[in-house]
Amino acid sequence: MDATFFKKLLDQNSFGYAFLNQDLRIRTHNRHLARFSMRDRNLEMALLTDLFPETVGLDQIFEEIFEQKRFSFELTHMNRESDEGQTIYFNFFLYGTGNKDIPYFFLVEDKTREAELAQELSQRSNEIRLLEGLLSARSGNVSARIWGQSLPIENLRAQIEKMGRIPTATILLQGESGTGKSMAARVLHESSHSSDAPFIEINCAAIPETLLESELFGYNKGAFTNAVTDKKGLLEEADGGTLFLDEIGEMSLPLQAKLLSFLETRKFRSLGSTSEKEVKIRLIAATNQDLGAMVKERRFREDLFYRLNVVRIQLPPLRDLGDDILIIAQNFILTLAAEFKKPVNSLDKPAANKLLNHNWPGNIRELRNAIERALIFCEGQKIGADDLHLGSLQRDEPSSSPLDRFKLPKDGLAFAAIEKKLLEDALKMSNGNQSRAAQLLQLSRDTFRYRLEKHDLI
Amino acid sequence: MTATRIQKKICMLGIFGVGKTSMVRRFVFEKFDDSYLSTIGVKVNQKILPPQENSEHKMIQHNLLIWDIEGFDDKTKPLNNYFIGSAGALVVADLTRMESITSLPTIFETFQAVAPEAKLVLVGNKMDLVDKEAPTLVELTQFAAEGDIAFLPTSAKTGENVEAAFQKLGLLLAD
Repeated sequence: MDATFFKKLLDQNSFGYAFLNQDLRIRTHNRHLARFSMRDRNLEMALLTDLFPETVGLDQIFEEIFEQKRFSFELTHMNRESDEGQTIYFNFFLYGTGNKDIPYFFLVEDKTREAELAQELSQRSNEIRLLEGLLSARSGNVSARIWGQSLPIENLRAQIEKMGRIPTATILLQGESGTGKSMAARVLHESSHSSDAPFIEINCAAIPETLLESELFGYNKGAFTNAVTDKKGLLEEADGGTLFLDEIGEMSLPLQAKLLSFLETRKFRSLGSTSEKEVKIRLIAATNQDLGAMVKERRFREDLFYRLNVVRIQLPPLRDLGDDILIIAQNFILTLAAEFKKPVNSLDKPAANKLLNHNWPGNIRELRNAIERALIFCEGQKIGADDLHLGSLQRDEPSSSPLDRFKLPKDGLAFAAIEKKLLEDALKMSNGNQSRAAQLLQLSRDTFRYRLEKHDLI
Repeated sequence: MTATRIQKKICMLGIFGVGKTSMVRRFVFEKFDDSYLSTIGVKVNQKILPPQENSEHKMIQHNLLIWDIEGFDDKTKPLNNYFIGSAGALVVADLTRMESITSLPTIFETFQAVAPEAKLVLVGNKMDLVDKEAPTLVELTQFAAEGDIAFLPTSAKTGENVEAAFQKLGLLLAD
């Protein structure tokens, strides 16, 4: 069999081929080669790397073939877009000829049909897995965004996961300022709604009472002097999703009555409208005030309080989270360091102790601010105690230490029982670690052990 | 000062669906398409970066040959032959899928076995779909810090940091 036989064979099966000289220039080729190449004419003496950029970087391979240390090399499923916008797929092979003048034989095989089938198969299975990933990013993993491992955090996570499964239940979030009520509301929303469902947030304390009503319920043209067009209210904007009312304790009594009416019927009227509208929303309300006490003082409607209080989620203050303070701080360091493009990745030991011994009146918000500020000034990879300015931050926040809030009841109480309770709580918060528990009560380890023995706790 | 133009091959690496093709389309053609089309094999695109000054104060202009390679899978991984001659790689993880992060050690190991000297930049794509405190972002940031790998969160959809990621790789290639 001579070379003509092989040429005919390759031509008939739509293979492209070329013989190359040592400089990788094309000496001879068949007509099919142009179909796969970056250019469709003047291929003679063109550089292979210009026609097939896929061969760039293969210098070592060409050298090994030239020196006959290797006979062949192949790359499969190269994609090329044709002039008609269709993708063609090809495999190419390089062979050594053993001829010093034309040392390389370059062969191209059309694999479009085979690749299209493979593409169809992988497309289907990948699409499903991608969708699962997207859903899990928005639902299953959302509670992982609540950082920490302490008992209060585990409880919070469990409650949020449970409520995520009931997308219409009204929820009251209660917690001190800065405990993450807005974030918890968003997590609740994302764990129970699709990605395109609206999440509408409004702070009742930030908007004047008259405006708040029109913002919530919307208005029709002519409802009041400046109502020149119809405007949808936030209730309507939130249809199919969540309305988050922050600082609900600041809402006026007349507006509370209107909100209660909506919660009872799920229907409302816009200002200046005679017809009712119906929406499906989850209402999440939040407050840092004691609504029960406000009811007694007649500053909050009792009926609305009971309507909101069906499901109440209490957000723990940061000072009750023990070592979680360090976990939360570490997460802030990593996310903020990426944002600020700084190589900081952790806290040193004294800085960690400083965080653990602080009272955190401003809770997680204060911790975030402290870490953000420390990152700006930190020069090394670890944040040091000197980088953390907790004192000045503390002065900016209203004090809410437990001692400030504690009042001796009129009929007194048993001091020994309080002492025992404090010891038990400290042990619980430190997972039985006595040194850490002693630290929490600002006692030496020996004093702490003496008191444990006194109360038969060891 | 005129820049020296250098042609370099770089690879796009990552499991399926992390947005490798979208990153390339955004960078090369300034386009984005929300629909997903899985890549079979390799598609090569070219883009000339703006001139950059390297650490020796020389002006370098890279003509990047970007190999958009099919994703790594549970059972299969791309042919090692695809990686031969690579000067660098942009390793892409998907911030909505933790599996795209847990697979990174295998991807790095496979690629570096063929191209040990290649420069690497790690990106966390789809940042438009997660918030700044997403566990995947935290995990990826930590992974990059531990491995001393340049890292950027990106969004091929909005274009955020896409050009910056390629520029970063270009800068590493220039040294």
